[in-house]
Amino acid sequence: MPFRKFLSWLQHFFNGHKAVSLGFYGSPNAGKTTIANRLSIDWMGEPVGIVSEIPHETRVVQKKERVQMKVNGKTLTMNLLDMPGIATKVDYREFLPYGLSTKEAQKRAKEATRGIIEAIKWLENVDAALVVMDATEDPYTQVNITILGNLEAKKIPVILIANKIDLPNAKPERIREAFPQYSLVEVSALKGTNVEKLYTEITKRLT
Amino acid sequence: MSAKGIHIEFVASEVLDKQGENKTDYILENVKADTILVLEEPLTPEEEKELIKETMKLVDPKFPGIEVSTLSSEAEGLRSALIRILGGKPRGLTVIGPSKLIRQIKKNPNSIDLFTKTR
Repeated sequence: MPFRKFLSWLQHFFNGHKAVSLGFYGSPNAGKTTIANRLSIDWMGEPVGIVSEIPHETRVVQKKERVQMKVNGKTLTMNLLDMPGIATKVDYREFLPYGLSTKEAQKRAKEATRGIIEAIKWLENVDAALVVMDATEDPYTQVNITILGNLEAKKIPVILIANKIDLPNAKPERIREAFPQYSLVEVSALKGTNVEKLYTEITKRLT
Repeated sequence: MSAKGIHIEFVASEVLDKQGENKTDYILENVKADTILVLEEPLTPEEEKELIKETMKLVDPKFPGIEVSTLSSEAEGLRSALIRILGGKPRGLTVIGPSKLIRQIKKNPNSIDLFTKTR
């Protein structure tokens, strides 16, 4: 309806729904893109990026702008920023078992290092962060601690996500024990388990 | 790892203080030379972030990166900031080494286990 469009334009013009930049952070293969896709498809109908079992599939920051989420009467407009996974090492040899040639693996490694630098630069510029951890892995890693420490230093709101809880060896309680000071949502982004809880927590914290 | 074994260097905080803004360069120069460093003064999250960023600029097929772990008695909060402002040094340590020599650094709240690669 033209009148509604005009009203919506007026709202945007006067910054009625300022978009919150929401960064997805974590180690490679924690499931950041799967969660970002789930959120983007549920609220916008389009995915953010491609998911792969090969580590460092996301090698540039992938954006989806003005995704609008409405939960319990609250509306939140977000710019989703799916970050490359942060790591302290990128060894091209780890890509070879996935069928990549040496040349392809080295190219992927080089791109991954640039992606990590980009993700780190963004750490100071997001309004809020979802820090995604694989619930089947030990959460007490220096990468997780460094990400959280930097977000905390900048007073950027953080929601922790324990992902992959559908897997039999998932132990989300380890994440809760390691980082008790953060609010934690346990999800399976792949199966869609508890994503409504995540949406409630996001709107509760960021509106 | 050389034929002589693994080189571990314990670095006093005064040595790092002298490096000033070149602290990251000093660390990476040594780690690239296959030395495992144990820093008397733990790195802050900001310093670790810079270390990871600078490491990524150096990654190539011969140098895949680093393993790093910090043990700190105080969370990086007001208390720790106050200690630094007053010229004190927060208790703790940071271990950094080349990933080609270190198989795994396992961190617990009160200890760090470092497992090196064997030939």
